[in-house]
Amino acid sequence: MTVQTSRFGQIEIQETDVLFFPEGLLGFSELRHFVLLEDPQDEIFVWLQSTETPAIAFPVLEPEFFVPNYKLTLAKNDLEAMGLKAQEKVRSFSIITIPDDAKLMTANLKAPIVIHLSSRVSRQCVLQDNHLAIREPIFTSLQQRLVQMPNQKFRETSATEKSVPQALSLAEL
Amino acid sequence: MLVLTRKLGESIAIDDNIKITVVQIKGKQVRLGIQAPKDTKIHREEVYLAIQDQNKQSVDTPSDNARRVAKLLKS
Repeated sequence: MTVQTSRFGQIEIQETDVLFFPEGLLGFSELRHFVLLEDPQDEIFVWLQSTETPAIAFPVLEPEFFVPNYKLTLAKNDLEAMGLKAQEKVRSFSIITIPDDAKLMTANLKAPIVIHLSSRVSRQCVLQDNHLAIREPIFTSLQQRLVQMPNQKFRETSATEKSVPQALSLAEL
Repeated sequence: MLVLTRKLGESIAIDDNIKITVVQIKGKQVRLGIQAPKDTKIHREEVYLAIQDQNKQSVDTPSDNARRVAKLLKS
């Protein structure tokens, strides 16, 4: 199927790559279908792109890149909403805000996007841990990570589930 | 919306396992004590509003801002 995007033009994706958010995202409850895209002109971010509204796309990153011991503790109602059972695989992403001065970029650690890999049912889960910031500055942590692991690409992490949404491929523009 | 009047020390029961007690009243502030099963999510409403706000800012990110980050990180 074809997805129209305002940032990356027209993109071909597999229907099986579409993520379903039964409740949408906070503030965007009407949008239920998204896909993960890579920008060929960037090596860091993944974009959570709405398949329904071309202009709606969130830059996201796996929290392990800037919080090495990030703990995803899901509540019972999150698990139930996603039909997620113990041992089943998930992948999580933090929504990033990048202002014009990119050094001030922040990540939302409090409410990650969680993807149930086998069903693709997804949800923005608000974690109960009160120490997690909604706007965590991450530029310095990313820089440190780059110094420590210069050869590891941002989109390839060993810390998280590998059998990833295949939609992580942006068709030719 | 159901509206109930409670005095200091009085409670409201929700279902069989959630109890909200008025712990302190000081001027315009009310302190509430909440007893609920461990799985119950309890947040100040501002948390949800702040997350919505962050989502709305993130969605306005131009792809150029994201592309600039890689260069900045290496500089």
